[in-house]
Amino acid sequence: MDSSRPDPGDNPTNDPAPSGTRRPHIPSPRTPHPAESDVPAVAGVSAGDGVPVTEAPPDSEAPPDTDPTRTAQAEEERYWKAGRLEPMPIRKLPKAPPSIHILGPTVFLVALGVGMGESYMWPRLVLVFGPEIRWLFLIGVSLQAVVMLEMSRYAMATGESIFYGAARVFKPLMWFFFVTAILVYIWPGHLSAGASAFEKVTGVPWQITAVAGMLLVGVVFTLAKVIYNLLENVLSICIGLLVVGTSVVAAMVGNLSDLTSTVTGMFAFGYLPDEAMTAAWFPIIVGSIAFAGPSGMQQMWYTLHLRDKGAGMGAHIPQIRGLRHAGDQEAMPSRGFMFDTSDPEEMEKWRGWRRWVSFDAMVLFWGITMLVTVSFTVLAQSAARFDPQVAELIRAGDRDASLDAMAGAFSAAGSPVLGTVFFLFIALIGINATLGLFDSFSRGQADMTYNFVPGAKKMGMAKLYGMFLWGLIAFGIVILLFGPADGPAAILDVLAFLSAFAMGAYCVVLLLVNNLTLPRPIRPGIVSNALIAFAALFYLGALFFSLFAFGVVVG
Amino acid sequence: MGAPVSLRAEGTLLHHLEMAAPGALIGAVAGLFAMGVGMMAGLPPALTGTVALALGGPLALLGAVYCVLLARDVFPVGAVAPLALYWLVGFPLARLFDSHAVAWVMGGPALREPLLSFLALQAMLSFGFTIGFLWLHERIAPHWLLRIRGHNPVAEALFQRYLVHAVHMDRRRAERRARRGRPGSPA
Repeated sequence: MDSSRPDPGDNPTNDPAPSGTRRPHIPSPRTPHPAESDVPAVAGVSAGDGVPVTEAPPDSEAPPDTDPTRTAQAEEERYWKAGRLEPMPIRKLPKAPPSIHILGPTVFLVALGVGMGESYMWPRLVLVFGPEIRWLFLIGVSLQAVVMLEMSRYAMATGESIFYGAARVFKPLMWFFFVTAILVYIWPGHLSAGASAFEKVTGVPWQITAVAGMLLVGVVFTLAKVIYNLLENVLSICIGLLVVGTSVVAAMVGNLSDLTSTVTGMFAFGYLPDEAMTAAWFPIIVGSIAFAGPSGMQQMWYTLHLRDKGAGMGAHIPQIRGLRHAGDQEAMPSRGFMFDTSDPEEMEKWRGWRRWVSFDAMVLFWGITMLVTVSFTVLAQSAARFDPQVAELIRAGDRDASLDAMAGAFSAAGSPVLGTVFFLFIALIGINATLGLFDSFSRGQADMTYNFVPGAKKMGMAKLYGMFLWGLIAFGIVILLFGPADGPAAILDVLAFLSAFAMGAYCVVLLLVNNLTLPRPIRPGIVSNALIAFAALFYLGALFFSLFAFGVVVG
Repeated sequence: MGAPVSLRAEGTLLHHLEMAAPGALIGAVAGLFAMGVGMMAGLPPALTGTVALALGGPLALLGAVYCVLLARDVFPVGAVAPLALYWLVGFPLARLFDSHAVAWVMGGPALREPLLSFLALQAMLSFGFTIGFLWLHERIAPHWLLRIRGHNPVAEALFQRYLVHAVHMDRRRAERRARRGRPGSPA
């Protein structure tokens, strides 16, 4: 019941601004950038004061308006100038959905985030250091929940992606993320875990499964009328099954002491054995904290999913259509929109949206990630109890051997069913991550290309999305068949570094974007800023400490 | 919203059975999933059937009962806490039944740990099952209601309750806003 987008209340691209006499929030004085100086000011309203101005350059996609009434209203058009790019027209903020909703774009973050970290890395650390080490997981996931809330702030206030926000502050920042995404995410190695698990169950070679899976994803996304709706439905069912399934299997093989030690271990704050600070384990522990939940650029892509969900001002932006329906694709505005932050009614709606996304962040993202990790940790502890050799294999760090051994332990302890179920869960996690990653990568690159590559707007968003999607698939198939799936061995460390560095970088970008480009009433508070600053220091500090102290990239 | 609609319509047994489908389906998924996997794993048909029925049967039954109680207005729409209480009792009982049924077919002890520890573990894990169940239910049930509400008065009544609930939430928000008089600081 919640997949529908909220009614924006006015036309996305060319309706006049609200005709009331209230002005949007007047920000603190700021010197206009030369790019803004071509915006003509009206009598009594100075662009230099940062007051929203009238008659900024018309939407390129909007047809010329000859209706005198509309023209008169258009003269009252108001804008919010943010950074150095095109100002945002003021539009109505739609109402937030009722709190009955269960699902939101968080489903993408859960799909991308619940991966090998939750199903393998953290269970491994628990077996090596004991359940008390899980307090670090609590810190990692909680930090990610805060990052998620701050990512949503900009996306819901403007309908723009965080990439666009970064470009408003300093365009090279956006290009850094554009290049990093290509370098890090173009390699199809992420498919191997899920496809290998499928091979264990069915005997079909994993490369065949991976190639068939990629082609299937490409065809489905191409035929879909609106990609977001399709993907939200599929991922929701997959994650629902994962949560139900892991709970049932943990209930079948776990015992009470496994579960209570796993849960109480989350509150053993400060526990850090000496071995954790060695060159062998420090980079792994830091990597596990950083990659608890969504890692790399996944949080940035979440802003694009919020937009397609129609969250906040995203309701004014059309959804991306599949390639087959590219002809129906509505013209994308060349920038986002802002709402009137001096209007109490608008601010009340804004608070409704913040409640909505907070529910998503804390209950769904935080809660589901915790539930799945607790279940998998209980599974790993059970496997080690059934077969002590499993603990040794997991300690040794061979992921495939460990997963094999865990499945074998379940088979021996219960029945072959449990071992097979375990592999199916790993396959399910792989499917979720692949679906989410292919869509997110294509969405992010298409967004940046559409807005910042000259001439790209002529292609349209749907075609750009399709181009990146099929480019990723074609490259993935070639590499799977003929090349190194994880990327060339010579640059593996560079890729791992970039992935971790991107997380510290997006925290810095968040601080800049939310505090410099948003109107003051909706900027983050001191606590949020402090937490994001801490996250930036943590991600970047741990990355460089590991690099210089131990000569190893976190991972 | 037009003419007032009874929010707790009386229906026949068939109407209620039809309403129970989403919950029964989700409850059965655990059992059916295990059955399919058991077949792939080459388990004897008798054991595969036992696992599927002993786990899927009770969970499907409890899922179906939840849907009927939801339609009878015993459970509020979309609420997590009452459903968590429901599965806090139901899930351990289903697992207890499953363990005894499998032990009866395969032989050997039904429980690997004391009964109280077993029930406590299942009760704790029931929360995960609750979240997954509700997630799937809210995904499937509305589509099912839209499909059957034309000929099923119980479904129509539940559908209207979803709408009333949404309106109610809106009204509560408006009242809160009015009480505050003026908005506070932004979120």
